[in-house]
Amino acid sequence: MPERLLLTGNHAAAYGAMLARSEVISAYPITPQTMIVELLSELTASGRLDAKFITVESEHSAMAACVGASAAGARAYTATSGQGLALMHEMLHWAVGARLPIVLTNVSRAMAPGWSIWSDQSDILSQRDVGWMMLFAESVQEAQDFIIWMYRVAEQVFLPGMVGMDAFILSHTAEPLIVHDQEAVDEYLPGFQPLYDLDPEQPRAYGGLVNRDHYFELRYKVYENMERAGQLLIDAGEEFGEVLGHKYTPLEGFMLDDADYVLVSAGAMTSNVRQAVRDLREKGIKAGLLRVIAFRPFPVKQIRQKLGGRKKVAVLDRNMSAGHSGIFAEEIRSALLGRPDAPPVYGYVVGIGGRDVRVETAHEVMNDLLVRDEPEMSLFVGVKGLPIGPLRSDYEIRPLEPLEVMR
Amino acid sequence: MSGLDHVDNYPEIPVSLAATSTVLKTGAWRSVRPVIRIRTAPCSAYCPAGISIPEYFDHLKEEKLDEAHSVFMERNPFPRITGRVCPHLCEQGCNLAVATDEKPLSIRSIERWLGDQTADLPHPYPTEETGKQVAVVGAGPAGMAAAYYLRRSGHKVTVFDRRESAGGILRYGIPEYRLPTAVVENEIEKLEDMGVEFRMRLALGTDLKLEDLEAAYAAVFVATGATGQRSTGIEGESLLEPGLAFLEAANRNLASLPGERCAVIGGGNTAMDVARMLQRMGAKVTVLYRRTLAEMPAIEEEYERALEDGVDFNWLTQPRKVTKLGDKLLVTVEQMRLGTPDESGRRRPEPTGITRELRFDGVFSATGEKADTAPFPDRLRDSHGWLDLDGDGATKDPLVYAGGDLATGPATVIEAVVAGRNAARAIDAELGYADRWPAEPPADTVSPAEVNVTYMPHHDRAEDPPAVTADPFAEETNTLTAADVLGEIDRCLSCGYCNTCGTCFVFCPDGAILWDNGPRIDHEFCKGCGICVNECPGHAMVLVNEREVSHA
Repeated sequence: MPERLLLTGNHAAAYGAMLARSEVISAYPITPQTMIVELLSELTASGRLDAKFITVESEHSAMAACVGASAAGARAYTATSGQGLALMHEMLHWAVGARLPIVLTNVSRAMAPGWSIWSDQSDILSQRDVGWMMLFAESVQEAQDFIIWMYRVAEQVFLPGMVGMDAFILSHTAEPLIVHDQEAVDEYLPGFQPLYDLDPEQPRAYGGLVNRDHYFELRYKVYENMERAGQLLIDAGEEFGEVLGHKYTPLEGFMLDDADYVLVSAGAMTSNVRQAVRDLREKGIKAGLLRVIAFRPFPVKQIRQKLGGRKKVAVLDRNMSAGHSGIFAEEIRSALLGRPDAPPVYGYVVGIGGRDVRVETAHEVMNDLLVRDEPEMSLFVGVKGLPIGPLRSDYEIRPLEPLEVMR
Repeated sequence: MSGLDHVDNYPEIPVSLAATSTVLKTGAWRSVRPVIRIRTAPCSAYCPAGISIPEYFDHLKEEKLDEAHSVFMERNPFPRITGRVCPHLCEQGCNLAVATDEKPLSIRSIERWLGDQTADLPHPYPTEETGKQVAVVGAGPAGMAAAYYLRRSGHKVTVFDRRESAGGILRYGIPEYRLPTAVVENEIEKLEDMGVEFRMRLALGTDLKLEDLEAAYAAVFVATGATGQRSTGIEGESLLEPGLAFLEAANRNLASLPGERCAVIGGGNTAMDVARMLQRMGAKVTVLYRRTLAEMPAIEEEYERALEDGVDFNWLTQPRKVTKLGDKLLVTVEQMRLGTPDESGRRRPEPTGITRELRFDGVFSATGEKADTAPFPDRLRDSHGWLDLDGDGATKDPLVYAGGDLATGPATVIEAVVAGRNAARAIDAELGYADRWPAEPPADTVSPAEVNVTYMPHHDRAEDPPAVTADPFAEETNTLTAADVLGEIDRCLSCGYCNTCGTCFVFCPDGAILWDNGPRIDHEFCKGCGICVNECPGHAMVLVNEREVSHA
């Protein structure tokens, strides 16, 4: 029978890995992810989870161990955060090229320096192009369930996937959690069948040298499988509802059907945005929410369908790509580009480095959206001493320093 | 590489087929492997005889003259002769000319040097006599080549010829200044020394009957050439002097000039030889040719030398009528123009109706010779009267073979040599010895796009230097020096043949090429990066899919 417990997001992630019957766990502790590793090491030590726990000296090695384990046919799991995910970067590519369906939980935190352990999407979004699937959890429940959902799809398309959850807001906050019945999860997620069996009697090298004649085709297949994963996430999310009681989708709308003004959000801050939408509706403003759950593969068609024809769209980014804009805003603009019914997309950068994104913050964004005529790439919300707006117009761009004339 | 031409045939990830141990050395990364492979150089592919040119060059480079000579002799026994008169199609094929802006390798001149260096090297006496006797009729290049290969194979060979001396067109057709008689005689002596019997002054059809030869010999090869004069269709033809007969008379020192101003009709090699010989005898020669230089079949080099000798060329000039006017000949010629291409691909000359008259002391025809097939019974000829032959020169009669100009009409010396060799091989097989001939060169030819010219030395092409002599009939060029030959061979990319240049050894980034008198690929460590294949100047290496060479 399912259990109902009060648990933090980190412990929920550990339960997710356990319910998924992860067979090899290799991780390196890092704040704010440490509790995941601690609980999983306890669960394996006690025998409650039948898995091999491999301690390593770095996140790079943690992912390398997962790569080896997955290649050998084991369901492999790891968790990390911020600098740790950055250190894994090379091995993240390896998992994609070797077509290994590893699942990773990233407790998103801001990148150093300045040294910060607080919530921020920059770490995970910096891995946008490695070829991992990416899901953004909003709740403790999702921190657990998305691991199971992700394995279900990853092992079909032989691509790895990561689940992002917000530092502290989810990782260290306890919420009621339904821990699913193991038999039901087993029904949903059968054992992992690897692409190739590693046999010591017949030693082979996997992922060896590929010349210019052949690499492109291998990568093309990665793209094809990522494309296929888009539909499989929908189907597997549906199945999750049938077998485990809650249906998941790559996108989630709230009061969206007749909304003129749509706020787009991802991750834990969405809960506050949702509350703001409720408030706005009471005031008679036709506001709505679109929550992005699947970031890779990006649900381009559904985004077009959900946002086409709206009066204005505001995208809340807890990240920013210096030199461009918030990354969600950029992705959504690009999905809508050239569509005849494309709404203007206003990019709002909020909550950088763990600054709170409150219900009031969402109201401030909506107030600005209603009166602002021109969509901007980036509108900064809450920079001290500055109103909501683009880069300040009175900022003096200093000319190039003159060269010292050599005499 | 087979199987990987469509994305659907690709695996999800590259997996090596097998490693030799669980300790995976870098060789296990490999999905393709370099293989040192003998491929055909374009020079060899263009050579009618298919001589393994980079191979004998490599032996010359190593100063192994005997090995070079024996490689050559597998396909052509007369380097001294073809080294002088061959149209060297090999050089047309040379990858250097396409892959660089340099001139092709001077292959014929190296061949000539090889021939001269080995002039005194006797042909090997056959190790085992078969006891079979083969008759060869015609002692020209085809007959001589057939005699060489048949004798070398252990058969007794008797060569018959209608003239008093052997050599055929080599002795009686090609002028002395291009091919000295001494060179031809040297080859005949060497054939005699290996046991070939020459019986002269016996003509097929009169002194010899084909059926008598068939009765007396295990096989007969007929190569009596093409010396019959083809009708020119010119009114007053009897006033023309046949060009080939003139060349024979000149080679016998019996020719005399009809006067100072001479004309030669035709644009082939015989026309060039006649014109140049006349010019050297003191005449002022004009070649009358009905098409233009672009369509002229003569070897370009011979045309250029004719120009150097002072020969004049009248293009688009078709003689129509020759009449006698006192002691002069009056030639009425019609101006032609080029029309649509004919079956040979050359533009056809069309009459314009405009005529003029030219005056000469003598007019020579060199518009092509024809073969005399009269000695052959009808059953061996096709409906056009040509001999009915397969590719090796076999007639419908299993004992009778034919080849050379007799079969093809006027062609080159090397083509006659190839015909002689092919017939010898076919006769040898017919007599029960099919397996002792080398395989034909592989069809896989190295293309100009594959070669790497980055590391080749750049210097002028070595060509036969002009001879300094006052005698217009002495050989007009000299043979290269050994130093020139070795320098010229340095320019050779050695297409498709590993000449142990060491480029792969130098460039392998993994030290996976070992050196045992030549490259050896260490498959324990070769990652299959393909750099060696790209760097190999002559592309004597190829990448093959590991699946094709390794166990599954």
